[in-house]
Amino acid sequence: MNSSMLLHNMNTVVTGSNRGIGKEVVRLFALNGANVWACARTPSDAFEKFIEECAQQNNVEIWPVYFDMMNKEQIRDGIKKIMSSKKTIDVAVNNAGITYNALFQMSSIEKMREVFEVNFFSQIIISQYLVKLMLRQKKGSIINIASTAALDGNSGRSIYGASKAAIICAAKSMAEELGESGIRVNSIAPGITQTDMLTSMSDEIIELTSQETHLKRVAKPSEIAAACLFLASPLSEYITGQVIRVDGGLG
Amino acid sequence: MREGTKMLVKGKNVVITGCLKGIGRSTLDIFAENGANIWACCEKKTTEFEEHILGLSSEYNIWVRPVYFDFLDESTVKVAVKQIHQDKDSIDALINIAGITKDALFHMVSMKDMKTIFEVNLFAQITFSQYITKMMLKNKRGSVIYISSISALDGNVGQLSYSASKAALVGVTKTLSAELSPRGIRVNAIAPGVIDTEMTSGVSGTSLQELINSSALKKIGRPSDVAKAILFLASDHSSYITGQVLRVDGGIR
Repeated sequence: MNSSMLLHNMNTVVTGSNRGIGKEVVRLFALNGANVWACARTPSDAFEKFIEECAQQNNVEIWPVYFDMMNKEQIRDGIKKIMSSKKTIDVAVNNAGITYNALFQMSSIEKMREVFEVNFFSQIIISQYLVKLMLRQKKGSIINIASTAALDGNSGRSIYGASKAAIICAAKSMAEELGESGIRVNSIAPGITQTDMLTSMSDEIIELTSQETHLKRVAKPSEIAAACLFLASPLSEYITGQVIRVDGGLG
Repeated sequence: MREGTKMLVKGKNVVITGCLKGIGRSTLDIFAENGANIWACCEKKTTEFEEHILGLSSEYNIWVRPVYFDFLDESTVKVAVKQIHQDKDSIDALINIAGITKDALFHMVSMKDMKTIFEVNLFAQITFSQYITKMMLKNKRGSVIYISSISALDGNVGQLSYSASKAALVGVTKTLSAELSPRGIRVNAIAPGVIDTEMTSGVSGTSLQELINSSALKKIGRPSDVAKAILFLASDHSSYITGQVLRVDGGIR
């Protein structure tokens, strides 16, 4: 993908940025001229090397921020680090999430709480902090990575799907509340995507599901990142409160 | 060159209908800025239009070829398709913008007007798409975009024929996606909200203002807002998006 500098000089926050979709978002945002606070749970040499190279190649700044989505204090400290930079925030991509595959009757309350803690409560708290910053300049774009499981329901995904449905609903209300302040809030519902999350599914299911799509294949993480780029950029200036399915046509 | 929207469709050859004004004109301009070659389709030849496309082609170093036809006259559509076919250039995107409306309350809707609206907004577009996608299938890649409307999804007082014709396009979009996507052609629709064009100037002021007020952004959309969403759907950035209807409406519930 050639660079089109769609996010030139913008400051962005991306959670869950050390692998999968989040990593591709960092890569694509940097390629398009954005500075990035790349949030991840734990420091690693590979991650630091990735962001350093990515920043250098694109002549942007990428700062690592580490916090555990299960830990409120860590989240607060991480956001404090972002806020203390005194920079404006133009875009937030709430991507960090955990998956959980279990039949309804087998789903445990402990796991339910954990899934909602990461996929919903922590994302909301992070958005609350960042919206405060965005309100100062009366513009911004918040993007939540949800899932088609939230819209369609899938066997074994009652809890995971519900957590993503919750974030979609919150995003719609946020869009209504924040629209007049120039802040747009949208969600992306990826279909079946080639990430670590797929390792929890059997090859047979993956093949079956990809044949159900119109495009007859699974998504590359970079294709989900490209939709994030669109929603982060001025190309989507008049789009808010939406859920964009990036699912290859799941019918 | 407008900052932020550079070269997203560089080198792609696209067919755009309804280029004379409104959303179509804005789409023509933004695709030119972003490096596409364009068959610019519209109903009538005007000096202003001819000069405009000449200006675009020299400014952005692309080709823009005018194609004139009337969706209500099938013979002109056939001639236009032949013209495009004879150019022997591959087609990467088909953007169906041409459309008409004639508002009337349900009991006042005339069958004649309704048939005209369906002829232009639906049947002619399907016919045209049949011809153009046939050429696109040779390359096994491409993007087809229809312009539906939020009134197709939500309904709107006085827009029975228009909204029904635009709702039909949603069905066309989803079915074509299922048929053509396995062969590399993505098909999507955009549902614009209240956009500042001549077409909306015909709708009564109060209902428009009510709609705008009910939107999250509390402002009317510009033709370029829709054009930029079309740009995304025509670009490789949307390579895994098909069969979708994207609302560009400022957040109207």
